[in-house]
Amino acid sequence: MSAIKTILIIEDDRFIGEMYVRSLQQADFDVTWITNGADGVKAATDKQYDLLLLDVMLPEQQGTEVLRKLRPDNDDKIPKSRVIVLTNFDQDDESRAAMQARADGYLIKADITPRKLIELIKSMQTVE
Amino acid sequence: MAIRIADYYPRLRQRIIAFSVAMQVVTIVVLTTLLLFSGFDVLTLIVYIIIPVLVLQAFTHVIILKYILGPLDILSRAIAHISPETNDVIPPNVNGTYFEKTGIKAMVDTVYSLASKDGQTSSTPSVPQTPQELTNAILNTIPVGIIALNEKRKVIYANEFAPVTKDSKGEILINLVFQGDDSLDTWLAGSEKNSVNNDHNWSRVQTALPDEPNRKLCDVIATYHKKGSGGVETMIVTVDRTAHYATDEEDMDFIALAAHELRGPITVIRGYLDVLNNELQPHLQDDQVELFKRLSVSATRLSGYVSNILNVSRYDRRHLRLHLHEENLSDVYASVADDLALRASTQNRLLSVIIPDNLPTVAADRNSLTEVIANLVDNAIKYSNEGGTVEIIAQQDGNSVTFSVTDHGIGIPSSVVGHLFSKFYRSHRSKQNVSGTGLGLYISKAIIESHGGTIGVSSSEGHGSTFRFSLPIYSTVADKLKGSDNRNEGIMETSNGWIKNHSMYRG
Repeated sequence: MSAIKTILIIEDDRFIGEMYVRSLQQADFDVTWITNGADGVKAATDKQYDLLLLDVMLPEQQGTEVLRKLRPDNDDKIPKSRVIVLTNFDQDDESRAAMQARADGYLIKADITPRKLIELIKSMQTVE
Repeated sequence: MAIRIADYYPRLRQRIIAFSVAMQVVTIVVLTTLLLFSGFDVLTLIVYIIIPVLVLQAFTHVIILKYILGPLDILSRAIAHISPETNDVIPPNVNGTYFEKTGIKAMVDTVYSLASKDGQTSSTPSVPQTPQELTNAILNTIPVGIIALNEKRKVIYANEFAPVTKDSKGEILINLVFQGDDSLDTWLAGSEKNSVNNDHNWSRVQTALPDEPNRKLCDVIATYHKKGSGGVETMIVTVDRTAHYATDEEDMDFIALAAHELRGPITVIRGYLDVLNNELQPHLQDDQVELFKRLSVSATRLSGYVSNILNVSRYDRRHLRLHLHEENLSDVYASVADDLALRASTQNRLLSVIIPDNLPTVAADRNSLTEVIANLVDNAIKYSNEGGTVEIIAQQDGNSVTFSVTDHGIGIPSSVVGHLFSKFYRSHRSKQNVSGTGLGLYISKAIIESHGGTIGVSSSEGHGSTFRFSLPIYSTVADKLKGSDNRNEGIMETSNGWIKNHSMYRG
């Protein structure tokens, strides 16, 4: 296990996407930014990332759908990656349970500033 | 009193006969006068004209009476029969071709179908014959669910409106989804142990989980009688209130959506402030740093208001779910300490924090508890004086840990203390001078009480106030929590979501 270095951001909001890219790059992470779910699935499986930051409300294909495609039941297509879901929707118990089966974290975007996010990522380790 | 044509029939018949006789007399007088002038003798007149006319007209009138009043009498008896009032009217027998051909049967059937609930036509409405049939008919007609349980909590009766299903073994199961500890089973267990007679009610109980078909929202009333008559120990009554609560559900969806929309710009504002502050820090003057802090504190507060509104909405609709875990109060405070210190310093207040590390752990939902702490500290900052100190102290108090926030500000008049924890209540002076939603203390009370704790205030006008809440020590509730909590041991709650503890996960 080592520190997180490569990060894939799947986020359709330009302001928020640029905000994460800018702050994470300044903290010396290697950042790739994708703005829709389908390209996100492709990017995540084409190349191995240490961490995925995944938005939920994406156009055409929601983040939950992206997560199901990347981690279908009993078949993890991204076994070397961590996934943190970043959204502004609060969870009910059912979606929380479903999300905990596939994601490594769930954070409310409005509550976590880039500085706190970077602190959190720095405290995390890669899968192996 | 049911109206019967028979009650009026003799009077009606007398009038018709009187009118008919009068008309006959007039006819005969006119006819006699005309014929006498024409030269007929009186005897011929009486024998050949007046008597035949009288007999024929009387016969005609009897037939007309029968055709007019007969159907009217049958209809009136049918209406009296279906009337909800008690009466001794014999329902009309309309079987036979005569009644079919004359349309009387169709009319009576229409009257019965109008009276029956589902509009189905029935020529012979079923009348309960025995008291038991009548009781069943009544129980299946009243629009509430009725369920009876025996001493083993088995369903021994459920009417048609009751939210129950039969399992594969033919056992009747109650479909009511209670929230948390306040369930029928918990209440029954307590009642069986401690009571002879007991009753309890629940509002907004779901008959299925959200998104499941035919989900209804009911108010539920239960009464318990130890060794009740007929083997019935518990009676449960459910009232379908889906329509009443539906508007609330729509409001909830709207609030969740509105909160999501509001959080978008808040994310951007807070995030870019963070980015800008970081990038510009070396070049900023001291007063500009201060401006950044104010911006940042305001944006954080805005984010807190949105969370308050969302949680109030959830609490009011019984959707507020806490995930209680063993927590150290000093850790919980540490997760918001920087934010609160910044809020205090931008308003020129001092925070004095005494939270010993060795306090017993409490059962808490970190996310919600930080919201309560932020609300209390925010209030203390708002209502204290410029340059004042806000004291935050946590200490053990018997089987609880008490957390108090004291300010030395304007205080609260005793007349308004009782209203402080009400929804939308804004303190006497805050309406003009201090911003806020009036939801902070309301949701704080809801959250603390959902933890099984208590919250209160003591205040002296002009000298300041102390708000304090107490939470049960984890060890006193651990057994109960382990029994009801199916949490994933590898999950760490944060003040803004959850994250898997990687030392425990995929280890």
